[in-house]
Amino acid sequence: MDIILWIAQNIFVTPAVLLGLIVLIGLLLQKKGPSQVISGTFKTIIGFLIINAGAGVIAGTLGIFEPMWKEVFNLESTALSDFMGQDAFSNEFGSMVAMAMTLGFLINVLLARFTKAKYIYLTGHMMFWTAMIFTGIVVNTVGTDVNFWGAVILLAVVLGIYWTVQPALTQPILRKITGNDNIALGHTSASVALLGALGGKLFGNKENDAEKLKLPKGLEFLRDSNVITALTMGILFVIGAIVVMTKSTPGAQELVASAGSQNFIVFAMIQSFTFAAGIAVVLMGVRMFIGELVPAFKGIATKIVPGAKPAFDVPIIFPFAPNAVVLGFLGAFVGALIWLVIIGNTVAYIFVPTMIVLFFHGAAAGVFGNATGGVRGALLGGFLTATVVAWGQYLMVTTFIGKTIPDTAMWAADSDMFILGPIVSFLAQLLL
Amino acid sequence: MKVLTVCGLGQGTSLILKMNVESVLQSMGISGADVENTDVSSASSMNADFIITSQELSETLAGHSSTIIVVNNYFDEEEIKKALEPHVS
Repeated sequence: MDIILWIAQNIFVTPAVLLGLIVLIGLLLQKKGPSQVISGTFKTIIGFLIINAGAGVIAGTLGIFEPMWKEVFNLESTALSDFMGQDAFSNEFGSMVAMAMTLGFLINVLLARFTKAKYIYLTGHMMFWTAMIFTGIVVNTVGTDVNFWGAVILLAVVLGIYWTVQPALTQPILRKITGNDNIALGHTSASVALLGALGGKLFGNKENDAEKLKLPKGLEFLRDSNVITALTMGILFVIGAIVVMTKSTPGAQELVASAGSQNFIVFAMIQSFTFAAGIAVVLMGVRMFIGELVPAFKGIATKIVPGAKPAFDVPIIFPFAPNAVVLGFLGAFVGALIWLVIIGNTVAYIFVPTMIVLFFHGAAAGVFGNATGGVRGALLGGFLTATVVAWGQYLMVTTFIGKTIPDTAMWAADSDMFILGPIVSFLAQLLL
Repeated sequence: MKVLTVCGLGQGTSLILKMNVESVLQSMGISGADVENTDVSSASSMNADFIITSQELSETLAGHSSTIIVVNNYFDEEEIKKALEPHVS
């Protein structure tokens, strides 16, 4: 009994070690050599620990961004209510995330084995973030004393079904875009991609294909997520800083004073680069453990499910319509600015438009919108993405995840999670 | 031999490319290759023998000391093999 208790206290409550163990088993099942087993297991543990470090950096810059724009809109400077934050949440509930993700994947494999939907979800970093956000919702709804295995089973079932059904829903249109049936889309932008396709069909013109347009050269930097993140957050930070500097309210003075002897605009610019740096750190950590986990998962899946179709990350569809990608992003970016102003002035919430979400999700909606409605469809798809993301983030942060990880919801939660979030919350209330 | 596979975010697509490159190298009878996936910004400051990426990103990486190999379809093992063959064998 003592041994079980010891294992529970030392391994199951330490998510990094638990994930390391899962990868270790995966690598051993695939009969990898000792060198690969050791490096894979270690990189998983280190990668998970790196995520917390980056999350702290991001939260620090959001702590400047939010009050800054509240000043711009003359809003009451009430900070978010008490919340755990990614760091504390990972330490306490990270094991729940890891278990839910692993069991959810096994449910996905079993559904693919025994139903007609032969899709195996392999976008590891999105599996991780979806599991993370949904766990945040469950804990927020039920409370921190939530039953561990009850929550894990609910989350695993929801995730397993989502990872199987989502690629099946996007496949009819994806088949038209790629011209084959070998690969599927496994990404949380599915809802806005389908909305984009619907919008394109209703309001677009299919004949006006975006790929016939000649887009200006010099947009290559849009391919690099670090650069666009720093650039767009930089624009918003600098605009905010300039407005704040023209004001003499106590809040504005306090913000300017927080820069110390540094010029406030320079300070704000550095915040935007720090924000991008924080995201780069988190993504490095995610890369380290997902890079070990996904090949292990794939090894298991291909053994169990004959004829499985892998569902992949969204950039796989970009080469089929590169212009629609740019148009979708532009639509999403303009939409995000409009919603920043409208939401700031109506419900007094400061929307944080992160470029990872606007770019990848806007692009997906752009490609799907172009497939049914040409240029207009692509732009509309992007705008619809911004609409879902802006209002979704507002609902998440204020209602569904406010006590747990609103900091993460501001930059790592996205389209499908916002649409499924309320359902997860409802199920948690009903069943746990 | 050190190989980098690169995509915009360095998360999903480059990982799939990494797995496909590993399987192609194995089928060519080349063992001991260290294949790593990463994003385009990190790749520009990393050392490797080969960088495998798409046409668009190869333009961003122009001037890199590594040999850059362009692959358009990350899922086409035949294309990956054809692109790799002139460089490794």
